[in-house]
Amino acid sequence: MAVQGIWSGTISFSLVAIPVRLVKAIEPGRVSFHLLHSKDYSRLSQRMFCPEEKTMVSQDEIIRGYEIVPNKFILMTDEELESVSPERSRTIEIVEFIDVKEVDPIYYDHPYYLVPSKGGEKAYQLLVEVMRRTNKAGLAKFVLAEREYLVAIKSRDGALEMTTLHYSDEILPDEDISPKKETIAAEEESRITKSIEQMIEDFNAAKYADGRRKKLMDLLETKAKDQAPVEAPAVEEEEGEGPADLVAALEESMRKVKESR
Amino acid sequence: MNRTFVEMAGRRLFLTNLGKDLYPSYGFTKSRILEYYRGIASFILPHLKDRAVTLKRYPDGVEKDFFFEKRCPGHRPEWVRTAEILQDGGDPMTYCLINDLETLIWVENLASLELHVPLARAGSHQTPDSMVFDLDPGDPANILDCARVALILRDLLSRMGLVSYVKTSGRKGLHVYVPLNNKETTFEDTKTFSRAVAGIMQKHYPDLVTAKMAKQERKAKIFINWSQNDASKTMICVYSLRAREKPLVSFPLEWRELENLKGQGDPARLQVVHSEAVSRTERMGDLFQEMLVKEQKLPHL
Repeated sequence: MAVQGIWSGTISFSLVAIPVRLVKAIEPGRVSFHLLHSKDYSRLSQRMFCPEEKTMVSQDEIIRGYEIVPNKFILMTDEELESVSPERSRTIEIVEFIDVKEVDPIYYDHPYYLVPSKGGEKAYQLLVEVMRRTNKAGLAKFVLAEREYLVAIKSRDGALEMTTLHYSDEILPDEDISPKKETIAAEEESRITKSIEQMIEDFNAAKYADGRRKKLMDLLETKAKDQAPVEAPAVEEEEGEGPADLVAALEESMRKVKESR
Repeated sequence: MNRTFVEMAGRRLFLTNLGKDLYPSYGFTKSRILEYYRGIASFILPHLKDRAVTLKRYPDGVEKDFFFEKRCPGHRPEWVRTAEILQDGGDPMTYCLINDLETLIWVENLASLELHVPLARAGSHQTPDSMVFDLDPGDPANILDCARVALILRDLLSRMGLVSYVKTSGRKGLHVYVPLNNKETTFEDTKTFSRAVAGIMQKHYPDLVTAKMAKQERKAKIFINWSQNDASKTMICVYSLRAREKPLVSFPLEWRELENLKGQGDPARLQVVHSEAVSRTERMGDLFQEMLVKEQKLPHL
């Protein structure tokens, strides 16, 4: 079964254009629980509550405010917000190639994989191979869900990995972190160096696992064997929007349908 | 029990209770039902072929109890083709495949007035060969309102580059189909796509359309049931009879014809009864022919 894409479009630079799909590269191991009503096991849903009127607030009464000083807000409409949002893009435009080693890992935010779409396999393979050999990463700007990201595209195990990067002004300064310089005795330094050397290993991520998660899963498994699960009353499936790309294309088509009717 | 022995293509069948009236308020005996299915066989069989059929049986007629039979009856003749399909629980179940006239007549002799089929064929039952929008009117909305929604849906799908086809449900609604006939599209894809389409339709036509299952939401609106796009769901097969007062048929319409009928404003004219179904197919051929062959892919997934 094909992996569900988050986005589809093309990677491009100079005369190259490779059709690709963006898919997720990590599945966080967090065990998540649903909040249920203890009386009937219904899934609980969140509603907005106005503490002033002591009532639930409906969607059409909700607006946005930016807090400038405590309790003082600048209001912002959807239109205003949209006016500053970047256009959805269908391309990942590589603007420069850099040395992979040059990127400080603190900039790495979220990894994805890029999968070649039909017709793009050959160019994709070529890019993977050349980037691997030269140890280069492509830097690109990319719009996903109304945000513009800086991304690095790298070769990884025969595929392309795309990682969103933090912008430099998101990185907090470290000057207050490091303590004042003090003189360190040479023997102290060599003692620490030795201790570290004794503990040196090759990095092997597979050696480590989330212990709490493992215990939690075991506990869930035992409980599932011992007792019947409780059942939530049947609720209809919410009509969801769907992938942003598809929804945008449908909106555009719907606009044309309405125009021509 | 009165029994009639027939031999078809060298296969022997005992037909029972041929004089029994299964549509009492209209007057339509089992022998007329068999006649209908024999007349429509060359049109319905390609659409039944290799699909794990669910039989909706009315042994005592449309006014009495019915039951769904998914498991192919154990007393079936040895020449009836079957398929093993894994159920949600993980166990396989044996379904009948209605791949020839003899099997069709055999299941109809069991008073399987309605034939319900999945959107995928048995050999690849996780790969739908079409996507469907089941348009269901909530009172007092009727089939004319369904026609309005179906026509907007056709235009929307067409703007998305997809050709669609429509048939009556034979009850109160309409079914809009998008043929896919490619190996890559999954039920997850058709569900995601149809759900987004239903959502957009509801957003732009909130007084006419709902994508919500809840009964109170459906009042006076057309419910676009996208959740039929699932390996475990079935749809009434095109050309199958329906078990209502009259022997109406789930019948394909041309889009142009639907536009005209909508303009005429008489809901009854959108219904196709058994005799008309036979004469129209003889005249027009299979309007659902393209459903069997047209290859399309869902964009933007």
